[in-house]
Amino acid sequence: MTELKRKKEVSRRNFMAIAGSAAGLAAMASMGVFAGDPELKGNIPEIDIDIDTMTREEMETDLLVIGSGIAGLFAAVKGHDAGAKVLMVSKGRLGSSGQTPFAKGIFAYDPDKEKLSLDEFVATVSRSAMGTNNPVFTRQMAEHSLARVKDLKEWGFFDSPLYFNSFSKPLEERNIPVVERVMITHLIKENGKIAGAAGFSFDEAKVYIFKAKSVVLCSGAGGFKPNGFPICDLTHDGTVMAYSIGAKVTGKEWNDGHSGQPTNAAACYDGWHGMFDRKPGLTGVEVHHDLGVEQCYQAYMGGGPLAGGPPGQSGGKQVTGGPVRPAEFAENGRRPSPPPGGKGKEGGGPPPGGGPDSGGAPPPGMMGGSSVCGTSAGMSIHKSEGLVPINDQGASNIPGLYAAGDALGSYMAGAIYTQVGSSLAGSAVQGAIVSEAAAEYCKGMKLPTISKNKIKAIEEEILAPLKREKGYSPAWVTQTLQGIMIPNFVLYIKKESMLKAALAYIEELRDHHLPMLRAADLHELRLAHETANMIVNAEMKLKASLLRKESRCSHYRLDYPDVDSKNWNAWINIYKGNNGEMKFEKQPFSSWPS
Amino acid sequence: MAINQIKGCIGCGVCIKTCPTDVIRPDEKTNKAFIKYPADCQICHLCRMYCPVDAITITPDKTIPVVVSWG
Amino acid sequence: MNTYLKSSFFVQLVLIFVGIPLLILALSSFPERSWLKETISLLTILAFFLVVGQFFLSRSNGSAVQEVKMSRLISLHKVIGYTAVTILLIHPFLQVFPRFFEAGVSPDEAFITIITTFTSQGVVLGIIAWFLMLTLGIMSFMRNQLPMKYTTWRLVHGILSILFVFSGAWHMIDLGRHANLAMSVFIAVLTAGGVLLQLSAYRPKTEKVGVN
Ligand SMILES: Cc1cc2nc3c(=O)[nH]c(=O)nc-3n(C[C@H](O)[C@H](O)[C@H](O)COP(=O)(O)OP(=O)(O)OC[C@H]3O[C@@H](n4cnc5c(N)ncnc54)[C@H](O)[C@@H]3O)c2cc1C
Ligand code: HEM
Ligand code: SF4
Ligand code: SF4
Repeated sequence: MTELKRKKEVSRRNFMAIAGSAAGLAAMASMGVFAGDPELKGNIPEIDIDIDTMTREEMETDLLVIGSGIAGLFAAVKGHDAGAKVLMVSKGRLGSSGQTPFAKGIFAYDPDKEKLSLDEFVATVSRSAMGTNNPVFTRQMAEHSLARVKDLKEWGFFDSPLYFNSFSKPLEERNIPVVERVMITHLIKENGKIAGAAGFSFDEAKVYIFKAKSVVLCSGAGGFKPNGFPICDLTHDGTVMAYSIGAKVTGKEWNDGHSGQPTNAAACYDGWHGMFDRKPGLTGVEVHHDLGVEQCYQAYMGGGPLAGGPPGQSGGKQVTGGPVRPAEFAENGRRPSPPPGGKGKEGGGPPPGGGPDSGGAPPPGMMGGSSVCGTSAGMSIHKSEGLVPINDQGASNIPGLYAAGDALGSYMAGAIYTQVGSSLAGSAVQGAIVSEAAAEYCKGMKLPTISKNKIKAIEEEILAPLKREKGYSPAWVTQTLQGIMIPNFVLYIKKESMLKAALAYIEELRDHHLPMLRAADLHELRLAHETANMIVNAEMKLKASLLRKESRCSHYRLDYPDVDSKNWNAWINIYKGNNGEMKFEKQPFSSWPS
Repeated sequence: MAINQIKGCIGCGVCIKTCPTDVIRPDEKTNKAFIKYPADCQICHLCRMYCPVDAITITPDKTIPVVVSWG
Repeated sequence: MNTYLKSSFFVQLVLIFVGIPLLILALSSFPERSWLKETISLLTILAFFLVVGQFFLSRSNGSAVQEVKMSRLISLHKVIGYTAVTILLIHPFLQVFPRFFEAGVSPDEAFITIITTFTSQGVVLGIIAWFLMLTLGIMSFMRNQLPMKYTTWRLVHGILSILFVFSGAWHMIDLGRHANLAMSVFIAVLTAGGVLLQLSAYRPKTEKVGVN
């Protein structure tokens, strides 16, 4: 019995002790003793990769699709259905990388419902685009949009705000392999034809070599990792890789004129006011002349957006001059500027590049306040920049190399946004058409061989930033480049002196920093390659802008403010000269490369 | 500061694959997600929306002042 | 009810198993979430603590509970047992329930991702705890139908409880978003206390024989 009694006391004492120590713990919690959060470390460029352990994986396929946005999706599916063995590779995840995850309105031209005939639609777009569009691609987009939307509906695209599942469905049904989180840095050309591509994984020390009969670039567009537009994973990689092996690229003088917000400028999600939360919807014919640099001009002349309230309302009145807008597409009260601070639905224009017809949330910067275009710095109008197509099937001047969607300079919409929702639709349509052509190209062809030396040389180039003991951090070079390229008076309101000044800086980065980019781990290796691509893109943008001595659509020069139809009814193509220099040529509007 | 905290993570790895800019990595020791490269967060919220347990908190601000077209 | 209120034991119990967790929660800073989500978390956490509290609300804690009539104690043990266990049983589903009202992965997809993440020690522990709890619940419900002696039943119930609380506590410490260090230590201490108490309830029997 004594034993039992002692036990009782212990347990009662235990009980009290627990209460006491727990109270102490609570007190500690309140004093923030446990505030340390391991997640809150900064970027850690510690060297955590042993370059000698780098392995190499070689994969073979008929058709290599680079990119897993909506263009890549359709390229993979339709290329497979056309009989090719397809492999998809992407820097990111299927349906959650590039711009596709953020686009919520897709255009479908339904001939039974629309008042405008297909011909009239194309003609209207061409008038709004002031001739800058390629009507063949405009028509192609509209003609096939409904069929692609039907495919998407079947896969469940319209049922969720997130696209991974609906994109996975057709790929899984067809057993199409998808390699994710591998950045392609090189296209491989052998004997004048495409032979594959190469890149590296973010997750394991591994270089990937893809041998392919044909490559469809669906790698999207890009920018200068701008703050406020969710394209920081896109740096025109496809364009630069293709340019490096001799492909022609176009469209670098144009600007996407999306606006940002003055506070928390980098917050894409917040800036889009709930748009990313929405399920996608359909849009019908509605031709505009949208999102160029008019806002920028107003703000620039009005002394900056902060002084004058919402753009276009500087001191209450419109500044005259600035980009010319075709009278037919005047904003005649159809979509009035939002009242200052206004948050009403009416205030909202269509979401950039398109949006659900529900009217919906205003795009960033349309919510009143003092925001102006410039948030997507480094990106042109969708489909105006990218590889120069030699035909309506997205073939480039390099046999076997194709591009679709934002990676193809199809000028589907022209050098200004003309049809709401057509960017998404255009990528889908082009992905399908282009890969069918690429599958056809593969037929009866042997898998090209790639020489050992070439593979070795490419591997060297890929890994070079990891091997440098000294050099510049990609983050710093990027920041420097942003400081040069992003201010409004460089690319948005252009003039010769500033373009030249900026070019001098960019040439310094190109000559001295690009070859000295250094990476401490695989994440930084990615940043290093992205930074290099941004430098090339910056040079292209400045030089093309200098060249186009006129103003039209989303390209505005203070020193050449008028449209010059005599000299400039032409697109600017850029290619690499024999000595590695950047060369330019004009291609008359509505023509194919000679 | 952009992506800010991960709490209640089960380590499924979805956010790691989902983040377009490769901000999140697995923590070898705890087998959970951890914010390795916060400076590259583009505040797009994809990781949060894809996370099965809504473990990720994101704030609209960035610690480093950002370069914008107008100021 | 009066007896409970008068009993300092009961006041202490509430203080420890409801008050302190609430205090820790209130004093720590957690990322803000929706009202619904916080409520669900709170319910789960309290349910968990009440279940741990069961050890202290049983015969094992004989000395402490002596002021309370055993029959009332048992009925209290049952009431708390069934409510808290119900909450914990549906907790995995509650976890994804708010997904019905927000953009993001669907609740069913989230649920499937969660329960198939076997690489997560926390998830595996949760699943183990869940099944143990289910077994405990069924065993309690069907005590009279089960072909075992009451003493055997009690032993099995006790052992399963220990395993359950152990895995549940570990699960919560590993996964819980509110399981900061303060909370974790508190859980660990309480759980250890409860388990010790339970173990001690088995040990003395044999010893008693020797002593007497
Ligand atoms: C915020 C926002 C809202 C928009 N809203 C709309 C809208 O409502 N309606 C509309 O029609 N359009 C809209 N757009 C435009 C539309 O999203 C794009 O035009 C379209 O999604 C482009 O699709 P894509 O497949 O061609 O390229 P992307 O979706 O950009 O895909 C590019 C793919 O390439 C991969 N990639 C890139 N580089 C590499 C590399 N080096 N190696 C491997 N892979 C690589 C990327 O990971 C990605 O998977 C919007 C865009 C944004 C940013
Ligand atoms: C199938 C079984 C289970 C699954 C899948 C599961 C899942 C989860 C997940 C994912 C979390 C972390 C999420 C968050 O904190 O927001 C969590 C937390 C938690 N779980 Fe479970 N669980 C299971 C069973 C249990 C059981 C049986 C218990 C009871 C012991 C329990 C108690 C808790 C508690 C108390 C928390 C902490 C909540 C918080 O900190 O906010 N779980 N559970
Ligand atoms: S918010 Fe976007 S960029 Fe930031 S970590 Fe999440 S997915 Fe990555
Ligand atoms: S998605 Fe959520 S649960 Fe999965 S690893 Fe990321 S933070 Fe953790």
